[in-house]
Amino acid sequence: MVKFKTAASAYKTLNGLICVYKPPCVPVKQVLHIVKTNLCRDLNALPDRPLEQRVEIIGSTNEPMKVKVVPNYADDPRVCGPRYIIEDFKCTWASHLGLFTSGVLLIGVNEGTKLAYKIKSGQPTRAYKVHGQLGKATDTYFWNGKTVERATFKHVTREKIDKVVANMQAAHQKTMFEQSGLQMDLQSTYELASKGLIRPADNKLPVLYGIKCVYFDSPNFTLEIQSVNEYDKYLWTLVHDLGVQLKTAAYCTGVQCIRQAKFDVNLALLRKHWTLEHITDNMNTCQEILDENEQLIKPESALLTA
Amino acid sequence: MNKVKVVLRNRCLNVIKNRYYATTKKKIPDDEDESLPIFQYPTSKASDRNMYSWGLAETGALGIHMPRGNRNRKQYRNNFSLCWYPMRSSFAERFDVEHIAAGYGFTVASIKTKEQYKVFGTGINTDSQIGYHAPRIGHPLELLLSPAPIFLPYKSLETKIIGIDAGRAHTAILTDNEGVFTLGNNAYGQCGRKINPNEEYRGSMVSYNIKKLGKEKITSVCCGQDHTLFITESGKVYACGWGADGQTGLGTFDNQAIPAQVKGDVTSEKIVKVASTVDCVLALNDKGELFGWGNSEYGQIPMKSGSQQVNMSYSLREFTRGLGKIIDIAAGGSFCLIVNEAGDAFVWGFGLLGLGPNVEHSKNPKQIPSPLFGRNEFNTEARVEKVACGIGHLAAITNDGHLYMWGRNRQGCLGLGSSKDQHFPLKVSIGGFVLKVICSVDHSVAICRPFT
Repeated sequence: MVKFKTAASAYKTLNGLICVYKPPCVPVKQVLHIVKTNLCRDLNALPDRPLEQRVEIIGSTNEPMKVKVVPNYADDPRVCGPRYIIEDFKCTWASHLGLFTSGVLLIGVNEGTKLAYKIKSGQPTRAYKVHGQLGKATDTYFWNGKTVERATFKHVTREKIDKVVANMQAAHQKTMFEQSGLQMDLQSTYELASKGLIRPADNKLPVLYGIKCVYFDSPNFTLEIQSVNEYDKYLWTLVHDLGVQLKTAAYCTGVQCIRQAKFDVNLALLRKHWTLEHITDNMNTCQEILDENEQLIKPESALLTA
Repeated sequence: MNKVKVVLRNRCLNVIKNRYYATTKKKIPDDEDESLPIFQYPTSKASDRNMYSWGLAETGALGIHMPRGNRNRKQYRNNFSLCWYPMRSSFAERFDVEHIAAGYGFTVASIKTKEQYKVFGTGINTDSQIGYHAPRIGHPLELLLSPAPIFLPYKSLETKIIGIDAGRAHTAILTDNEGVFTLGNNAYGQCGRKINPNEEYRGSMVSYNIKKLGKEKITSVCCGQDHTLFITESGKVYACGWGADGQTGLGTFDNQAIPAQVKGDVTSEKIVKVASTVDCVLALNDKGELFGWGNSEYGQIPMKSGSQQVNMSYSLREFTRGLGKIIDIAAGGSFCLIVNEAGDAFVWGFGLLGLGPNVEHSKNPKQIPSPLFGRNEFNTEARVEKVACGIGHLAAITNDGHLYMWGRNRQGCLGLGSSKDQHFPLKVSIGGFVLKVICSVDHSVAICRPFT
């Protein structure tokens, strides 16, 4: 943990990417706001630079004048307000998480906003844990909606979920080729396809690369999903679709992002750790990961790597 | 009245002042939940099977009949000539389909029943390969658009159908106790009976019963283009039919009318499976070793002498060295496809092999990259388990029941939604766990188990 001597030196180091854990029911915008306010608070608590002095020349002009150095009240935090305010920080997210989604959120701070933009345009894969419940369908596909249907679910077993989910995933793998914008009858397409997964050409349509059922205790289940271009409502509808295919009804009870590109949930800062020391520390770790994986910022081919 | 209005406005302002910014974490309870009825959707049994077919529909081989619209009736598609996507057959919903086979422009399916009609056929019937069907006496149908029962003279109705296969214009139906029944064209002896050059096959009611071969029960039957192969209980292979390319494996290039045992290396082995679509034959023994005979124009059965017709079975042990135990085989028109224990598919021969547009010919078994069958860092378990070959197209089924197809897309027989050729395996969209796929010349049929 780095100890800063002055606020100015601390502020200079705050350029980069941080990885925080977004709690559910808090919008991303508010997360950014909290991070900014916490940074301001901690910076303002650090020893400040010496106050500016004001040179005062007094006396009548036809006599020798007196030069005095007096404290400059215009520079006093008690007069002009705190040294660091939230407008001093630029903050942006690398990929948006919906209001009810919790989990890993990458935030670019100051110069790091450029990094965040590059990561976003590099289309990294994101991993989610999607929790669902069988037996009920709601109008929003999420727990906050109104119940529209109830159905029996005793016939659902783990094997059936596995099969349906594997089929969904393989169907997405096929769309992967359609989305990649590649011409099917070229040698280069074949070579790319035989190496592994391909990124989609645009950033609109969601493509799932892996779906697995990691927990099943009827009626609750958890899916682990690796995907590109998804959004929270899409994952909710996925649970609903799964319910329909299993000949029952299902709704989503929670979405948790557990990995974004190489940044996983262990790295993410909890809300209580959104302080200057922890954030600078986290920024360094994130920078190390970025240095190790240059393809995150500059993808060289359409080939997908986790 | 004015006073009241002012009071109201003030109250409204108060409400706006205390606005909430937080989102509720708890659901507002609604009592309607409990009053909703609980639906029970129908679920399928473990024994339920769905049949999907796609490709050329004009011959009626898909068994999906779309009647043309009248003025008074509902209009269906007027020109239902081909089907680019797998289409579920309503026939399999009414009967419990067990085995299927696809010949050139016709499909045969057997159902689980103890009644007389156990086998149904649809499609081209020019050589009575799917039985005698005549709505008017003396005018037999040469084309059936929807499945019709095939009459076979079973001794007992308890007899079960355990296998079925079809060639260019003949069908072989294997029963558990009564041997094999053959129907259709016998111009080369592919039905296993004496060749009569003047025989009329159109509108013929002949079916021939081969009870036993070499005093042994027949356990498996396989039809090539114009030949038929039988496996007996002890793993011996018998063949009859056209032999011009050596596909009967009897050491000659003559046609064989009465099934005779295949000569060469397979005589001492216990064969468990033979595969043949056109004129090249592959055989697999119980140890997972490969044998082959028949046409070798494209190097399907590589011989030291370089001969293009191999008329005796030869072991391909040296050829497939290092591939491990082979679990499934398929022989197409000009190529062969095998799978080993690790779930890797290997292909050799000539054509659209699935090795990209640049590779047209491969002398040695070449692995089709496993990422194409869905093996990647998110799913390391994907393995190919079963393979099938048509004349120009290939198919593979993975352990998850996914069907992948590639090759020549004649009349949309790949089921990929276009009529373009496919140079590498691509998943076919089928809503079920695919158990078996049969490829024919211009259509394909698959049997699936529903997920739930």
